[in-house]
Amino acid sequence: MPETQSAIATRFESTLHRAVRIELLLGLVLGALGGLVESAVLKTSPLSGTLLGITFGFAFVLLFARCATSPGAGLIWGLGSSFFLWLFAPGGFFNIAVSARSSALMLQDAQGHFPELVGYLLCLGMPVGVGLGTFGVIRRPDLSRSFSWGRAIVAGGFAGTLGGFIFGRWVSSGDYFPLLAGFGELSSRSTTIFMHFAIALLIGVTFGILFQQDIRSYGSCMGWGLGFGIFWWFFGPLTLLRLASGKPLDWSAEQGTAVFGSLVGHILYGLILGVAYATIDRIWVRLFIQSDPLNRQIEGPGLHFLRSIGWGAIAGLIGGLASMPVMIATGVLPKVAGIDSTLVGFRGVIIHLAVSATIGMTFGLLFRDETSSRSEAIGWGWLFGLIWWYLGPMTLLPLFLTGVCDWSTEAASALLPSLLGHLIYGAVTALTFSIFDLRYTRSLLFEPRALALRPRRPQESPAPALWLFALSLGVLLPILLG
Amino acid sequence: MIKEIVLNRIFRRIFIGILSGALAATTLIAALHYGAWGLVLGVCVGIAYSAGLRPAHRAYVDNLMAGGSLGVPLWGLVSVIAIPLFSGQMPEWSAEQMRQHFPALVGWVVYGASLGIINQALHDGAEHLFGPEPLPPVASVSVSKRIVILGGGFAGMRTAECLEEKLRTDSSVSLTLINETNALLFTPMLAEVAGSSLEPSHISTPLRSTLRRTEFIRGVVENVDLERRLVILRHDPAVDGASAGRQVPYDHLVFALGSISNYLGMANLEKFAFNFKSLLDAIRLRNHVIEMFERADLESDPARRSSLLTFVVAGGGFAGVELAGALNDFAHGILADYPGLHPQDLNIVLVHSRDRVLPELSESLGRYAQEKMQLRGVSFRLNTRIVDAQPGVVLLSEGEIPTETLVWTAGTAPSLLLKSLPLEKDKRGALLVDDALAVPGRTGLWAIGDCAAVNDATTGHPCPPTAQFAIREAEVLASNILAHIEGRPVRGFHFDSLGALCVVGHQTACAELRVPFAPAKFLRFSGLFAWLLWRGIYLAKLPGLERKIRVLVDWTIELFFPRDIVQTIDLR
Repeated sequence: MPETQSAIATRFESTLHRAVRIELLLGLVLGALGGLVESAVLKTSPLSGTLLGITFGFAFVLLFARCATSPGAGLIWGLGSSFFLWLFAPGGFFNIAVSARSSALMLQDAQGHFPELVGYLLCLGMPVGVGLGTFGVIRRPDLSRSFSWGRAIVAGGFAGTLGGFIFGRWVSSGDYFPLLAGFGELSSRSTTIFMHFAIALLIGVTFGILFQQDIRSYGSCMGWGLGFGIFWWFFGPLTLLRLASGKPLDWSAEQGTAVFGSLVGHILYGLILGVAYATIDRIWVRLFIQSDPLNRQIEGPGLHFLRSIGWGAIAGLIGGLASMPVMIATGVLPKVAGIDSTLVGFRGVIIHLAVSATIGMTFGLLFRDETSSRSEAIGWGWLFGLIWWYLGPMTLLPLFLTGVCDWSTEAASALLPSLLGHLIYGAVTALTFSIFDLRYTRSLLFEPRALALRPRRPQESPAPALWLFALSLGVLLPILLG
Repeated sequence: MIKEIVLNRIFRRIFIGILSGALAATTLIAALHYGAWGLVLGVCVGIAYSAGLRPAHRAYVDNLMAGGSLGVPLWGLVSVIAIPLFSGQMPEWSAEQMRQHFPALVGWVVYGASLGIINQALHDGAEHLFGPEPLPPVASVSVSKRIVILGGGFAGMRTAECLEEKLRTDSSVSLTLINETNALLFTPMLAEVAGSSLEPSHISTPLRSTLRRTEFIRGVVENVDLERRLVILRHDPAVDGASAGRQVPYDHLVFALGSISNYLGMANLEKFAFNFKSLLDAIRLRNHVIEMFERADLESDPARRSSLLTFVVAGGGFAGVELAGALNDFAHGILADYPGLHPQDLNIVLVHSRDRVLPELSESLGRYAQEKMQLRGVSFRLNTRIVDAQPGVVLLSEGEIPTETLVWTAGTAPSLLLKSLPLEKDKRGALLVDDALAVPGRTGLWAIGDCAAVNDATTGHPCPPTAQFAIREAEVLASNILAHIEGRPVRGFHFDSLGALCVVGHQTACAELRVPFAPAKFLRFSGLFAWLLWRGIYLAKLPGLERKIRVLVDWTIELFFPRDIVQTIDLR
């Protein structure tokens, strides 16, 4: 006898309630366990740790569970929310608001609470986020159809290996393997290289598994790579590798400062991984999905490519003009021109604008699918600016000028002033590009099919959490650990 | 009304921005001790945040995170740069100074997150109390002007492209393009299709894929009713069924119909000669050449065999010379597949009424082309006209040539449709137009390309019916049509030819290019360099990146493999 509509509705409601109960229980349990682990590592009261974990788990279920539609999305929401929690309490907002202590003392307090930052990220944010994200997949099996294990593992594995190869060739000449920071000396160079590749492969595969559904373009892939690189710095050198080498866990700011160089290394590795993964993944999609005539796009890649480069160059030029005052005032411009002088000549300006336009082209190519709204574009633009601060002044510029890159905290401190210039550049470039893109989109009004196919990030996308996590920590860590 | 709705929306967002900014500013005041300035800053940022973001429904966590991430650059811009500057000091962006601003960083991030949540809450509250944010009504598409373009060649398609670009978001003007085929044919490469160097579809660009908002109609124009301003299409039983041919109304009509072969009144030529204007013509010609080889291979009579392997091209202009060169290369190239046939059986003959070929180029280049082609095996019959054609023979003003193949490139005439129209034409039959490319005395009628007698507005000289002129005429025409619609003055057409290029055989070409900023001076090239120029320039001009890649691949394959002799049409 067929079910009546009300019976179906009742059955659906009870299923939903059951799912919500399981979700809540999962959040509370994972939070409690995470809190316990954190209190054990930080040697605080297990009761307070458990209570904190339960509270976090409860709040996460309430606020973010709906958005944790995959383990990767859950991880990013978890990291963002746990970072925000740290910022509010141990990080100092509460102290800042209620007391009138000096900035220096506030900073010292925050440095003193650095272990809590690591603890919140790894013991609360990560397990609760990944756990609820995994449950989110089970709860919404329709989403799993768009996930391919083969694609994730193959693309992620290749990307991780390729990233490890590129990175390894580059840093091994200086005999420094950032991915192994915290592990200590290994018995031989071949073991070191093997471990480097093993970790690179692990990071690549987990990247593919976690973020396959979130990545839409090279740009967002770089953003996710940046965030994942920062996460792995906390998870790898500060935690796993120390445990693996038999050393006790040390989440202090001093230990963070000691391995700060590997933070930059992890960020760069994450960027390389992001681009490599996006390339392989896009090739996979192009060969096996988009080549199907049933999935034919309105526009071929050719026109979009040329258009993105053109708009990107103009947008980069405008971004370069906007950031030029900061670059001049902070002394970056003379270094760009290859002269060490306080006077900035015409040559420096020209080179700066040329570089700005070229980097703008990369924004156009990498982020062209992420500018469907101005707010999204600006968010990615800031991240783009941050990426280029780590890539440019921290890495490529010293490499070109002196042949050596310095990832120490002193070098980062010296370059902090130009960070703001890069953020301004990124935001202005992104905003300008999005204006071009939106203007073009309006012309598609006459072709509703093309307009409907324009990629648009869904509302539950963890991109805002990624912006908060990556941007804040990318700026905060050099300040905190310097 | 739209203005009211937009203002309503703006005021709503500003009000929400003020409120959310003020509430969130309490974190700034508490953390940064900015006092009243904290409130002002918070409100300003709140307004910008609310005005800039399109509110989504219940997107609390998104706004929490996005707002929090906004706090980082705000900290940099305000606390580190702006506030010290306004206080008359240098921005405090050294590492030590930025560390001093650490509390401000925390405060700004928390402010941003608070702003995001409060802003979202207020938007949801406003939606609950007052309904969703008013949106401007979708403008009903009332078409006030209809522009119809007849012809999808260089002139017609470029006109449509330019109009699309200029009319980007103006839905009150409709665009329609009518063409017999659904693709633009890139005629400079047509000879290569006949010579089996290129695949036919690779030199055609689909009009539907290229044109975005232009309605494309594949059909044959039967007539144009100038009084009722209607384009009448030929009845197609497969499409129209029992009803009459479709009628397309217009306000502005562009004649870009191109030209057809002119057989100079010789009916037999029209009957027996191969045309060389369309893709189908090139495909038929290629297959016919292969068919002749196949028959010749079975023929025992030498005279008959020679007749089968004699190919006559009428006309020594660009089309005829390039075709003769391509056929010569193709025919000689496939001889290797027919061991029973010999090079001496093969005969490519170019018949031209003047004393040298390529009259459009300088005499030296024309002579060069002839010498090169003769070296490669092409025969020339200059100062000679074709007077008739019969099965198996072509009659010349002096003598005859036994042949089964005659290709006619010796004359063109504007489209036959124009004959029936009561409009002024020149002796060729092309429509007379003024400097602005409008048909005189007829509002809303325009003509460009091969079917129009266009004179240069500056020099007064007639413009040659070539693709480069057609494209530039189209660009001027598009702006003139819009100027006419908007009541602005129109402009005359002026263009200095960029030059001409002609391929005469394998890796050999002639080129005459104008020197920039010196209209009367030309640079002349010949040989391999000119051939590379020809390929490079025309590849760049070929519409569509995909087509460019396909043609490039074809040319690359040609370097390593012999030309294809597969018959794609069975002509038996």
